[in-house]
Amino acid sequence: MPKSTKSRPVKEDPPPIFKSWNQLYVFVLVLHLIIISLFYMLTKAYS
Amino acid sequence: MNPIDWIIMLGTLFGIVAYGVWKTRKVNNVQSYLLGDRDLPWWTIGLSIMATQASAITFLSTPGQAYESGMGFAQFYFGLPLAMVILAIFFLPIYYRLKVYTAYEYLESRFDLKTRTLTAVLFLVQRGLAAGLTIYAPAIILSTILGWNLQLTILFIGAIVIFYTVLGGTKAVSVTQKQQMIVILGGMFIAAIIILLRLPEDVTFGNALNIAGKMGKLEVVDFDFDLSQRYNIWSGMIGGVFLFLSYFGTDQSQVQRYLSGKSLTESRLGLLFNGIFKVPMQFSVLLIGILVFVFFLFTKPPVHFNQGNINSLAGTPSEIAYQDLSQQYDRVFDSKKAAVQTLMSAFDTNDEGTIETAKTNLNNLQTQENLIRTEVKNLIIKENPAAKTKDTDYVFITFVMNYLPVGLIGLLLAVIFSAAMSSTASELNALATTTVIDLYKRSMVTDKDDKHYLVASKWVTIMWGGIALIFASTAGLFDNLIQAVNIIGSIFYGAILGIFLLAFFFQQKDTKSRTLGAFTGAVLGAILVGYYLGELTMNAAILGGMIGGLLGLILIHLSFKGVSANAVFWGAITGEMAVLYIFYLNRSGTINISYLWLNLIGCVLVILFALTIQTFMNRLKRQAAPATPQ
Repeated sequence: MPKSTKSRPVKEDPPPIFKSWNQLYVFVLVLHLIIISLFYMLTKAYS
Repeated sequence: MNPIDWIIMLGTLFGIVAYGVWKTRKVNNVQSYLLGDRDLPWWTIGLSIMATQASAITFLSTPGQAYESGMGFAQFYFGLPLAMVILAIFFLPIYYRLKVYTAYEYLESRFDLKTRTLTAVLFLVQRGLAAGLTIYAPAIILSTILGWNLQLTILFIGAIVIFYTVLGGTKAVSVTQKQQMIVILGGMFIAAIIILLRLPEDVTFGNALNIAGKMGKLEVVDFDFDLSQRYNIWSGMIGGVFLFLSYFGTDQSQVQRYLSGKSLTESRLGLLFNGIFKVPMQFSVLLIGILVFVFFLFTKPPVHFNQGNINSLAGTPSEIAYQDLSQQYDRVFDSKKAAVQTLMSAFDTNDEGTIETAKTNLNNLQTQENLIRTEVKNLIIKENPAAKTKDTDYVFITFVMNYLPVGLIGLLLAVIFSAAMSSTASELNALATTTVIDLYKRSMVTDKDDKHYLVASKWVTIMWGGIALIFASTAGLFDNLIQAVNIIGSIFYGAILGIFLLAFFFQQKDTKSRTLGAFTGAVLGAILVGYYLGELTMNAAILGGMIGGLLGLILIHLSFKGVSANAVFWGAITGEMAVLYIFYLNRSGTINISYLWLNLIGCVLVILFALTIQTFMNRLKRQAAPATPQ
């Protein structure tokens, strides 16, 4: 029988600046896509 | 080394250690020692996460890798931001809700004790090996370049780390890492500025990039799908996501960093901080390597960067051949330097034909130079078959020692030592926590008071420090140190992640498990189809995704309504065995797969084996059950 682990309620505060966590996640991923696009442009520009 | 460099290096290192020891002088219970009172803000967590991952190898090997092979290594980190988001959404809330000390604790509440113990042991094996390498890797390079005794260098790094980690535990690790990261980032930024200032007056930053680009060094993104190729966007985005999910989500050395956060919000922000800044940071370190490459187009670099190997040729029958090669190398370098000037003049005229001719000429001379360098390596091997001739790890430190001004040499050495200490401290701290919480306190000595476990944690930290030191003192030099650490990780990480994904998502026949099943199947399908077509076209990717997604959905619907502890345990054992066998086939040359894919393969195999075993168990249970009367 698995040992039961005590759980506690976790307070979910909103992130700073953004209205929701989902907005912040999208921001991180879009920023990453922009960075990869810049890398791609660098690759093309200097090849 | 100049006394000023000694003062700056030792002053920086001991200043950080003293600060860490002073800040953690009141740590007097297990909670505080292993979780740092859970009071850290997001930016300390973020820096601590980055410092844990960025070892000294990162700052020694990465510029050398760019010098040799260009910027393609940046793709290795492309999966990291997505992994950070997945962790922030799915993993973190569960760890917080259950108030765990270690990631493996959760597995017992979800499955059983043996699954927790197995995963903890897998972690201890792979991280225990890596901790030795984390000390050894910079020690061998620094001792060769600086003429220090290797064993004393290992002891110097190891003893300081063990000292402050034993005294202050997790909090000492995080507090010192914050200072260490500031030194590291500041030091690398200053190094980049100095390289630019050291370039000839007529070579601007733009010119430097133009030259490096024409020599094929600025190919950051590669879309070719090739399983045997180490770094391309596919291995980075797919294999990398699985590697980083495993590393940041299930490796205690990282989990412990963000579990010490003040709140779920602070820990999430710490992870996302890493997701935003890690890729640009690695890109910047690689760019420093590119600038060093351009610098050495105008200033003659050594024909072989590991001076120890060159010294070993003195007085041997190959010495004359080496001198002859050195003279050839000098002539090729002079021609190459002239060719670079011609290329720069061609840039000014902006004539495509002239640029192309100059570029071809320059690359031909670079090929000649590479051939001479290879011949020198052959001479070294001839005189000493055991010698390691891959010298890329020595490129950056050679530049630092020979071309940085007094004072900055000490600072850059402090950067490298800081990086070694920050990642080693996290590793020792995590190894001790897992040993005490998941093995000692859970299964061996279960009924002692808090003080007993605090003392035990300190002794176990010393024990792991000792093991790391012994391993570091006896390890041989791998072909490329940073890759050796990653390869060891890839063999074990996939299986560990597979267990955690089974725990998180395969509880009930719900939407999450369907989605994950479809995703896993889609990735597997896409890779298989792409592989058999020899090249991943868009059609192949779409077809593979559809087939894989369908397979995933069917699998989920047909096989189970939750996965049991036994199925996970045996799935993990057989999955890890399969990964080790695939690794063996790869090493023996029977197959050719880049090690990054082992994360994905290990993870998928563990999930598939566990589900298959569960299906058989369900069937056996149904057969054994008495027939229901009609």
